[in-house]
Amino acid sequence: MSVTLWEGPTFAERERMSQPPVTSRSSRSGWAPIAAHPVTSTVIAVLIIASIFFSLYVPIYARTTPKVGDFPFFYFYLLVYMPAVSVALLIVIQLQKRLQPPGGAEGPQAAEMSEVTK
Amino acid sequence: MSHVNATTFTIVVVLFVVVTGVGFAAARWRRAEDMLHLNEWGLGGRSFGSFVTWFLLGGDLYTAYTFIAVPALVFGSGAIGFYAVSYTIMVFPIVIIFLPRLWSVSRVHNYVTPADFIRGRYGSRGLALSAAFTGILALMPYIALQLVGIQAVLTVMGVGTSSGSTFVKDLPLFIAFLVLAIFTYVSGLRAPALIAFVKDTLVYLMVIVAVIYIPTRLGGWGHIFGVAQKHFTSVNPATKKPYGAFIPTSKAIGSTQLDFATLALGSALALFIYPHSITGTLAAKRRSVVKRNMAFLPLYSVLLALIALFGYMAIADKTTMANVKKAGGNAQLAVPYLFQHMFPSWFTGIAFAGIIIGALVPAAIMGIAAANLFTRNIFKEFFKPDASPRLQTQVSRWASLVVKLGALYFALELPRTFAINLQLLGGVWILQLFPMLVGGLFTRWFDRWALLTGWLAGMAFGTVAAYKSASPTASHWASSSDIEFGHTVYIGFSAVLLNIIIAVILTVILRAAKVPQGADETLPHQYTADPAAAPAHAGVSFGTPAAAGGSGSSAGAGASGSGGD
Repeated sequence: MSVTLWEGPTFAERERMSQPPVTSRSSRSGWAPIAAHPVTSTVIAVLIIASIFFSLYVPIYARTTPKVGDFPFFYFYLLVYMPAVSVALLIVIQLQKRLQPPGGAEGPQAAEMSEVTK
Repeated sequence: MSHVNATTFTIVVVLFVVVTGVGFAAARWRRAEDMLHLNEWGLGGRSFGSFVTWFLLGGDLYTAYTFIAVPALVFGSGAIGFYAVSYTIMVFPIVIIFLPRLWSVSRVHNYVTPADFIRGRYGSRGLALSAAFTGILALMPYIALQLVGIQAVLTVMGVGTSSGSTFVKDLPLFIAFLVLAIFTYVSGLRAPALIAFVKDTLVYLMVIVAVIYIPTRLGGWGHIFGVAQKHFTSVNPATKKPYGAFIPTSKAIGSTQLDFATLALGSALALFIYPHSITGTLAAKRRSVVKRNMAFLPLYSVLLALIALFGYMAIADKTTMANVKKAGGNAQLAVPYLFQHMFPSWFTGIAFAGIIIGALVPAAIMGIAAANLFTRNIFKEFFKPDASPRLQTQVSRWASLVVKLGALYFALELPRTFAINLQLLGGVWILQLFPMLVGGLFTRWFDRWALLTGWLAGMAFGTVAAYKSASPTASHWASSSDIEFGHTVYIGFSAVLLNIIIAVILTVILRAAKVPQGADETLPHQYTADPAAAPAHAGVSFGTPAAAGGSGSSAGAGASGSGGD
């Protein structure tokens, strides 16, 4: 009995039942929200690229001086970097919420979905 | 050296028994309607929230690699070992770009493995097979690394190492292997998820105490760095070269900076292509859970940086240096010896237990991930398409045992100068999935045959290059870096570049020749979807008769969905 619980249609299948795929394909291009919020999108891109670049480009931090406390610069830099990345990514996540249409990331399909489930 | 400290030993055994108990009890945790379904055994019901996911992914990513292999490399070669810190920094900003997309599309189509996605995206069984094969292969040395880590701790504890016989010498390895195999078999993903709590508590405790306490015994951080710096500028009489470098060196004296950067970038790109990381990700219940974790997982990286510094503490401690030398210069023993010498024996017990459990948790998840790949993408796909969910779970359980045997082979056969090479070798292979997996998450431009050819070229180049690398102590598999065009770079990195170049060129040619493309069952908006209900609940809410009589498994359901269009 319990096995059947897993054998329902997948989300994708139900979606196909409820909505012709063609319309959803054309109505929700991935670039639309980015075009609608150019500043937010730029900030997100800059934060992510900077987070990667400043750990990838080793010459920036491959040196012993200046020392911070007892820590040579190289080691101090890497230690401090991590909480910084954490903060940067939290900001990214907050900003990404702005990119979503008012209906939420789920889009029209999700709205229909929840009606069905109700 | 073969002296066993009774207190340490007892504490390790007690904690181990507790954890094993938790592992078996986990089968009952968040009790499923049917434990024998692969979504249950293999993905914990896809129901984990931010908190559990954080522990699970943390337990997944920070492993014996972190506690043993990274400090061992730092101990042996200095700053180059800190590539691991750089890697765990850049991995999260990289991964936040593509991982939420993978979660979404996998949730919509009920994919369990990365190969499921590749099959759905490109409509190519061959490509999915290559992904499954690579995933299983790459996980073996990574699991082997966990076994080597456990073995290092057991060796320092003095368990069963004084014998000349190979079997007795590797007995600790076999015991660790057995326990791991059994509780994975019984509890599936729930076991490591629950044990991860115990493990992380132990690990945090161990690291915080060590970072505060050990420097006070060794004359402060200034002294530790001073000794390390002096050590790495001194010349190794055996090789007539410095032992290593305290700071990644620039061009003037033979650059290690490019090696450092490519090792870090290669590892970062590889991490979330590993099937076990994807398993941990797909077990999350919402898209936001995945994203939030990308911001909070770096907190584990702080830990990694501190743990890497244990390598320098070991250099600054004369007794540890002497012990490692006495044990044949096995750098993997540096951290266990350091703890043994610095801590009272009861706390050494806690720390050792933390390391052992910290290796078992990821090894279990890796075993499960590899088994899922085999069952869904090889067994069901090519041998028994009508396999029931129950049979699939049974096959997965046995496959997880076989994969671990493969890992045992790697652990015994490959040179153990630096255990980190095991992980890097896995990285060389898994990175070859990058174009088809990550590329596929953003574009359908790539041709499936081009991807397959690129994959083949990358695999062949990477394997041969890694096999040929020799060192004074090993004739093969000695290193994961190679000299390309006069620069030392990570083999995985050069191999995936070759892979991408071939895939791009061939795609251009095949597109121009209008070679037919496979069917794509995914739709653009599904990559950002965030379905709230897990597939199981959806099935309940629908409750259609057709659903009850539906195809064998979730993947089957997805496939039949595209067929019905």
